[in-house]
Amino acid sequence: MMTIAGIGFTYPWLLAGLLLLPLLWLLLRAIPPAPLRRAFPAVTLLLGLKDDESVSDRTPWWLLLLRMLAVAAAIVGLAGPVLNPTQTDNRSDRPLLLLLDGSWAGATQWSETLETAETILEDAARKGRSVAIQQVTRPQEIQFRAARAWQGELAGLQPTPWQATPDMVQDAIGFVAQAERDFDTLWFSDTLDYDNRDALLETLASRGELTVHQNAEPRLALLPAEFQDGAILLKALRSAAPAEQELTLQAHGRDPGGTERVLATVSGRFDPEETMTELKLSLPAELRARVSRFTIAGQNSAGSVALTDDTLSRREIALIAGRENREGLELLSSLHYLRQALAPTTELLEGSVGDLLPANPDVVVLADIAQLSSTETDAILDWVDAGGLLLRFAGPRLAASDISRQEEDPLMPVRLRSGGRSVGGAMSWGAPKTLAPFQEGSPFFGLNVPDDVSVRSQVVAQPDPTLSDRVIASLGDGTPLVTRKTVGSGQVVLFHVTANAEWSNLPLSGLFVEMLERLAISTSDRMTQPEELQGTTWKPATVLNGFGTPSPAGTLHGVSGESLISDALGPNLRPGLYQNEQRRLARNVVTLGAELTPIVWPASVTVVGGLQNTERPLGGPLLALCLLLLVADIFASLALTGRLGVARLSTPALALLLMFGAGDVQAQTTESELSAASELVLAYVLTGDPSVDDISRAGLQGLSDTLFFRTSVEPAAPMGVDLERDDIALFPFLYWPISTAQPQPSGQAYAKLNTYLRSGGMILFDTRDANIAGYGAASPTGRKLQQLARPLDIPPLEPVPQDHVLTRAFYLLQDFPGRHHGGALWVEAAPPDAELAEGMPFRNLNDGVTPVVIGGNDWAAAWATGPDGRALVPVGRGFAGERQRELAYRFGVNLIMHVLTGNYKSDQVHVPALLDRLGQ
Amino acid sequence: MTPALPSLRQRAEAEASPLPPLLARAERLAGSVLLGDHGRRRSGLGDDFWQYRPAQPGDSKRMLDHRRSARGDTQFVREREWQIAQSVLLWVDQGASMHFASKKTLPEKADRARLLALAIAILLVRGGERVGLTGTTLPPRRGNAQILRLAEHFAQNDERDYAPPEHRALIPHARALFISDFLGDADEVETALTKAADRGIRGVLMQVLDPDEEAFPYRGRTIFESVGGSVQHETLKANDLRERYLARLAERRDRLETLCRSTGWRLGIHHTGESAQSALLWLFRAMEGTAG
Repeated sequence: MMTIAGIGFTYPWLLAGLLLLPLLWLLLRAIPPAPLRRAFPAVTLLLGLKDDESVSDRTPWWLLLLRMLAVAAAIVGLAGPVLNPTQTDNRSDRPLLLLLDGSWAGATQWSETLETAETILEDAARKGRSVAIQQVTRPQEIQFRAARAWQGELAGLQPTPWQATPDMVQDAIGFVAQAERDFDTLWFSDTLDYDNRDALLETLASRGELTVHQNAEPRLALLPAEFQDGAILLKALRSAAPAEQELTLQAHGRDPGGTERVLATVSGRFDPEETMTELKLSLPAELRARVSRFTIAGQNSAGSVALTDDTLSRREIALIAGRENREGLELLSSLHYLRQALAPTTELLEGSVGDLLPANPDVVVLADIAQLSSTETDAILDWVDAGGLLLRFAGPRLAASDISRQEEDPLMPVRLRSGGRSVGGAMSWGAPKTLAPFQEGSPFFGLNVPDDVSVRSQVVAQPDPTLSDRVIASLGDGTPLVTRKTVGSGQVVLFHVTANAEWSNLPLSGLFVEMLERLAISTSDRMTQPEELQGTTWKPATVLNGFGTPSPAGTLHGVSGESLISDALGPNLRPGLYQNEQRRLARNVVTLGAELTPIVWPASVTVVGGLQNTERPLGGPLLALCLLLLVADIFASLALTGRLGVARLSTPALALLLMFGAGDVQAQTTESELSAASELVLAYVLTGDPSVDDISRAGLQGLSDTLFFRTSVEPAAPMGVDLERDDIALFPFLYWPISTAQPQPSGQAYAKLNTYLRSGGMILFDTRDANIAGYGAASPTGRKLQQLARPLDIPPLEPVPQDHVLTRAFYLLQDFPGRHHGGALWVEAAPPDAELAEGMPFRNLNDGVTPVVIGGNDWAAAWATGPDGRALVPVGRGFAGERQRELAYRFGVNLIMHVLTGNYKSDQVHVPALLDRLGQ
Repeated sequence: MTPALPSLRQRAEAEASPLPPLLARAERLAGSVLLGDHGRRRSGLGDDFWQYRPAQPGDSKRMLDHRRSARGDTQFVREREWQIAQSVLLWVDQGASMHFASKKTLPEKADRARLLALAIAILLVRGGERVGLTGTTLPPRRGNAQILRLAEHFAQNDERDYAPPEHRALIPHARALFISDFLGDADEVETALTKAADRGIRGVLMQVLDPDEEAFPYRGRTIFESVGGSVQHETLKANDLRERYLARLAERRDRLETLCRSTGWRLGIHHTGESAQSALLWLFRAMEGTAG
């Protein structure tokens, strides 16, 4: 290899091609650009005209230069230039031992290490030296083989997630001593010191020449995260403190969609001369529970990963009580003692089932709640099935209810006898009962039962074959106190007493807190104490490799609790997340109290610092440059000959765009939602019956047109709404024709509809049957309406009273015909205390718009107009029919006015008072 | 079925297809002129009353005589006496050189030339003149049917690159309109024009040019060739030729101008980049001016 100006060339003779460049220059200059053919009728006028110069339009010098550069780049690129070629003046031909520390501390620089090792192997192969590779963290017998044989195996070397233990070093020394011949050693150090390293160094030095390669960059490590004062405390270490250093920590975890991503980042820095820094990260509980590990950005070693476990993720507990109408009686609140017990170690959520379940709490506590609606039951059951813990407390309401009486309720662990029992009251024989000691197998086993805990009342389980399996705590007389059953991967636990001190003083005792803790409802940091883990066995769930990448543990065997805490990491104890039953514990590479000690090499050892002087072939970039120049030449030539029109540019420009990647894809909002949000749109429910839907659309179109002509309401074209998919919150008014063809909407759709009705939307239900059924089940659509509307949150109804706002919102009406005439129209009932206003013919009604209007007059048919503005469906006969259609339109206008302006017309009750005040 | 039949039919359809649009556009163009310049009420040229005749389908509403029609239920058209109807001879260059447009947005020169010719023919026929083509193919006749025949003839193309003006069978003392780019042999034009002048024919030369032919915006090494490909000229530096090209163009125009002056004709220049309507207005005036 020949070296010119620090760049080596594999094929230097190719550079002679550069001598051809001047010749090329002359050639290119002499040849004009290719002519352009152009149709031109006036060519007759050009005939005979001579060019002034024989060689006129030369290729411009810059284009020539461009081409020269391209050719030169190609020639130099093909000559195989290499930056920093290895200058090997080591003439030794003894075997070579590549000794790698191979711990996590070298993982970030691992690829550089391998590159250097490869260069050395290449060199050794050229010289015919045999080579052996030894990793201190995975000691094995030293075998000298041909360098070529090792090249394939190099990529298989992986850093280990542990540091070399004294045992491993001892093994390595033994293997070195067993080698038959003397050898030279190249030691790739991770810069972190470990025990017995000096002994290893001496052994190696005695066998031959020793050179140490190391990258002097400080190694970074992350200590396990702690939770302190509402924030996560993260401590980072570094092995050397040369100067100030910035670092960014990332919290990884699954987002709500289940994708692994960075949930939060926090930046900090090491002060000069400091090897430790502390960073605080404050996250909402919901997010914090999702964090699975913290990493140092830019580092990919196991030491820069801190796995999180239960000590960090405070569990979310949803507290749900029955009606809390005893304001101020704090100590009697059924949740008070639970709050006191759980607040220090958990996140408490309070609210209703529907609100709390989507937050996916770890535990749901139902304190004396007997009856749940079917949707709530289903939701809770699904949640328990997926691993939730439902904790129920008894109470007067549960005792009085029929729940789990005849058949076991899915959300109750046992069947209950009616009424419960009271012991030790003023009118009863027995004394209050105390607790029996906990049986083996019960999660409470081992807890001390204080004598003063007594139970005065409880609900009593029905004797069942399964009962004995489900009792985990019982009273002194053997009646179950706490029962449990598993549902799917979750469980349901029932305390047969109240959560307040009404039925027993259990909630007042420390035992209560400990029981909650054992049920994994609350957690404490006592878990990391060795004595706490005595006798437990932990199974690895996720383990880290040397690069800090988590992977499933697979068939790795479990470890005992004590060794998990205190033993050094090794092949048998890998860093990772361990779990037993309900709890999870993380074993991190760097534990609290650890320090990163850099190696201090004795002066006799040659240390090659930094690995930056690796060979770097320049051929590829140069050839790429050549190609780029040629592309530029194409454009320049086109531009010169005037062929670079806009239209012609588009294709290559497009190609370039494709090459360098197109822009972002914008998030799309559907067109219809956009228009519904920006304009007033009347909407109808798509029933799935095309004829009904068409009439609905035409009807609302007719009504929209009428509104447009007669009022200042100017609706856009009506839209059909699919209750399952579309967002109905955008529409103030929904027309819902009842069709027997319509499938029952799903639970989510009903939830949406109920929200819609509660937040001021209006639905006009139209049975289209002329109301012959009178809202009984006599007509098919009447039955269907009952069926559809049952899950809806509909207030009490009454037929439109004479003084309802609907009768005068725009037109004065007493009749609301559609295609049919007569038939009552039902709206939300006026409050019973509505009074007739002074001097006015109508009552002083409350605020608000009736959320539903129910009738059967087939209004859409009466409103329906075609695209040409003509009515689509005949109404009545002759002029009377047209009058009826006109009244139908007026009803429509009144209805929309009522939706949009609310009870504005109702305010006219105040007109006399206002006039009076004005002095009229 | 033999393949010859559909292909013949297809070709015939394809040939016929430009007719209606051309006709329609020409009618519209002519209509726009009539709006601004109502009738040809000049003394001495058939201005006298001749007869009332019942209106027929196809008569335009403006031709009705309302005073007469108001007397009864029938609508009448008042026809004027025409004694000295002129024959107008048209020649539109059908050569390949006319099929040139420098940009896609511009019409071809031939297209514009035919449009102008047909529009002026419509105006002239409405004015009662007889319109025909030079040569023997379509002698001057009156009536709307002649417009259709003209349109049909305009749809034909000449294979030659530069078609010389047709000057056979010229009717003495007629009027004439030659529309071409006049980029072919100037001697042919001179021959035709002198021959016409000998027979007492006066008229208008309309030169239709593409904007690029006027501006010559070319650069670099270029081979210019005629549309048919019969003539070629190669240059190494097109931008150097510009000055001399423009001089030659001016020279050609000067020659046409001189020719016109000596024969009593008029020369009009029209670029396809401009509106056809202004050209038609000018043409209409010019044709009137050359009358008598």
